[in-house]
Amino acid sequence: MNRTVLIVGGLITAALIGVLFTGLGTNPNEIRSPLIGKPAPTFALREVGTGNTIDVNQFKGTPTVINFWATWCGPCWEEHPILVANARRLQPNVQFLGVVFQDEESKILGFLQQRGSGYPTVVDDAGKTAIAYGVGGVPETFFLDRNGVIVAKHNGPLSADDLQANLQKVMN
Amino acid sequence: MLAQIGRLLILGSLLASAAGAMIAFAAGRTRSADGLKWARRFAYGYAAFIMSATLLMVYALLVHDFSVSYVAQVGSRSVPTWVTIVSLWSSLEGSILFWGFVLGTYVAIATFFTRGRYEEYQPDAIGVWLATAAFFSFLIAGPANPFLTVAVPPLDGPGPNPLLQNHWLMAAHPPFLYLGYVGFTIPFGFACAALIKGRLGHNILKPLRESLMLPWAFQSISIMLGGWWAYEVLGWGGYWAWDPVENASLLPWLTATAALHSIMVVERRGILKGWTVTLVQATFLLVILGTFMTRSGVFNSVHSFTQSAIGPTILGFLGAALVFTIALLALRIDKLEDEGRIEGAASREAMFLVNNLLFVLLTFTVLIGTVFPLIVEALKGKQMSVGRPYFDSMVMPLGALLLFILGVGPALPWGRATREQIKKALLPPLIGAVVLAGLGYAVGVRSGWTLLTLAFGGFAAWVTLGEMFVPMFHRLRRGEGFGSAFVDGQLRRGRRRFASYIVHAAVVICIIAIAVSTSQRQTAELHFTKGQTQHAAGFDVTFLGIEERAEPHRVATVGRFAIAREGKQVAILEPKMNQYEMMREPIGSPSVHSTAAGDYYISISNIDTRNETASITVFASPLVVWIWISVIFMGVGALFGLFPARQRARATESESVVGAAETA
Repeated sequence: MNRTVLIVGGLITAALIGVLFTGLGTNPNEIRSPLIGKPAPTFALREVGTGNTIDVNQFKGTPTVINFWATWCGPCWEEHPILVANARRLQPNVQFLGVVFQDEESKILGFLQQRGSGYPTVVDDAGKTAIAYGVGGVPETFFLDRNGVIVAKHNGPLSADDLQANLQKVMN
Repeated sequence: MLAQIGRLLILGSLLASAAGAMIAFAAGRTRSADGLKWARRFAYGYAAFIMSATLLMVYALLVHDFSVSYVAQVGSRSVPTWVTIVSLWSSLEGSILFWGFVLGTYVAIATFFTRGRYEEYQPDAIGVWLATAAFFSFLIAGPANPFLTVAVPPLDGPGPNPLLQNHWLMAAHPPFLYLGYVGFTIPFGFACAALIKGRLGHNILKPLRESLMLPWAFQSISIMLGGWWAYEVLGWGGYWAWDPVENASLLPWLTATAALHSIMVVERRGILKGWTVTLVQATFLLVILGTFMTRSGVFNSVHSFTQSAIGPTILGFLGAALVFTIALLALRIDKLEDEGRIEGAASREAMFLVNNLLFVLLTFTVLIGTVFPLIVEALKGKQMSVGRPYFDSMVMPLGALLLFILGVGPALPWGRATREQIKKALLPPLIGAVVLAGLGYAVGVRSGWTLLTLAFGGFAAWVTLGEMFVPMFHRLRRGEGFGSAFVDGQLRRGRRRFASYIVHAAVVICIIAIAVSTSQRQTAELHFTKGQTQHAAGFDVTFLGIEERAEPHRVATVGRFAIAREGKQVAILEPKMNQYEMMREPIGSPSVHSTAAGDYYISISNIDTRNETASITVFASPLVVWIWISVIFMGVGALFGLFPARQRARATESESVVGAAETA
């Protein structure tokens, strides 16, 4: 009897099966963010292109959409035109804000020049803001009401319908 | 009617496999020759049942018998015949039936080819195969039954998932995947049998290696076909996204590759026996894990089938297989005694060991990246995904190191090497490294990783080509004719060795093509009105206009673009948006102009038929086509190494000694 094999193998088996078992029955698109209903974490970050600092507090009084994204993320390309079109249509009644993480400023600028931008984009250099918002992967989008409280969160790329449904929640 | 017959056949396959497994294990215990004979008969019986059931399903699909539940679910009168046949594996129930079909084929062939030999191992091996088969037949008979009777059959069905109808590659990718995935059951059986007997004898190494090599070749091709399909269909210009299910297909491939190398060390030096057996078993377990990932709805992916009750069943099987394997290993691994040890750090076997460790490290890296989001969710109730940067930053260095070992390993001799030998082996290939990296720099490659990859690739190419052709030149110089030097010396007697270097050469090309195509890719977003010409990534693109094409099951809106270089038209590209009857959103389909030097790829992001305008994304990536070609060569090389095995067996004693000496 080789005890090392037994112990190591047993641990791997138990861990793997345990984790997979808890994963059963969950819907990978469903969101359970503990932040919903709480005031959004504040941040002040550098704007891409201008270098100005944008403080999220300055948007209080306006419903705000905060979109975490990156140029290396394919689904972010998909949702980008939808976000831009809606921002152009709804601003200034709704404020849109892009937060880029794990990326390089030159790439972001290139991306925005090619694909257009309709709202400010800031860089989360150290990733602290993404951590504060519990962002695990991009894209993720947070919907804040007038008072800066997180009302909804969407994981993955937004379709026009998704965006509309979530905007309803913050604009009421 | 067909549904009832189908259910009976499935029940037959379940009974044959379950009974056969018990008989086989009993025969292994009692060493009964009669028992073994019966185990074999049950194996053939299982194969006959499950294969007939699958053929019956194909028939039901072809005659549009919508009283069969699976046909009602995926069949359609309006799709072409090839799509109807492909529907067999387009949805959950059918894909598991097809799995059974492939397993039946493998079990029958493996049982047939090992009959009358390896009698020490055969009963337990058949037992393991049939026990696995019994589980899948149980799945088909119960939670994933495709042969349920539809009381009121519909007149027509929806047809399979449109994404799968979009390209012929979709017809090719899943069969290869199953041929790879399912095939790993066979070496798993041999490995378990060796552990049960507590002996990994020299004679079992050949069937173990060959039964691992065959599915490995299929798996390589299937991974490539999947990437190629994504590239041709999904329209984001890439072929690999570290999607959980892509990872699931890669994981067993990694451990299988490691095992194929460590088996050679067992053959030559009699060491790494327990390690090798563990790798073979891990390969099978990763296959079952991968099946769980795709079939349970736990992971979000392009590949996910709809959620179903079979997730827990597969998880139960994975748990049972893990417990069985761990228990077997714990009880018996110490009996597989090594007959020697590694003598020097700069030896072929030491490099094999490094290769193995790198592959295992890669496996863990990818596995953790894939499962980590689930762990976080389980512990903190929060969802996350591990992005591309994690995989890229972890896998790139490991891949480059593997390429380095691929060059250095075969250059070094077995056993202890002198300083002189090492110098002689490792210095000349540096020329290859400098030349290839220099060439890359000259054509504009500036990325450090890519240059390093080119250098390692040049080193490896030098060594590989040398190993392939230098022995032949020696023979030629000794006055032998080309026929005897190349055909007899390399292709026939040195067949295995030559084949393995075909695979190595293909790997070198593949890794270089991946590195260069990724780092040198140019992309542009363009907006066109009809007749307009714009310059992007080295070509002039002219928007010729829009065509609507109606096909029975879809309407395609085609954008026509002329591609010209220096005033000369090179190609007309027709990216399109396909609107399927049963889908709300259209599905884009890019168009690619491929040449040996690079691809020019156009994907539509927006098309407006009324104003005749179009927005497109252009990707220009060098060398992409070599990725597909090289992987086909990896598969072909591996199959070539397997093919004329029978002739070798008849070779005379002295020849087979020469052959063995050349086999490295």
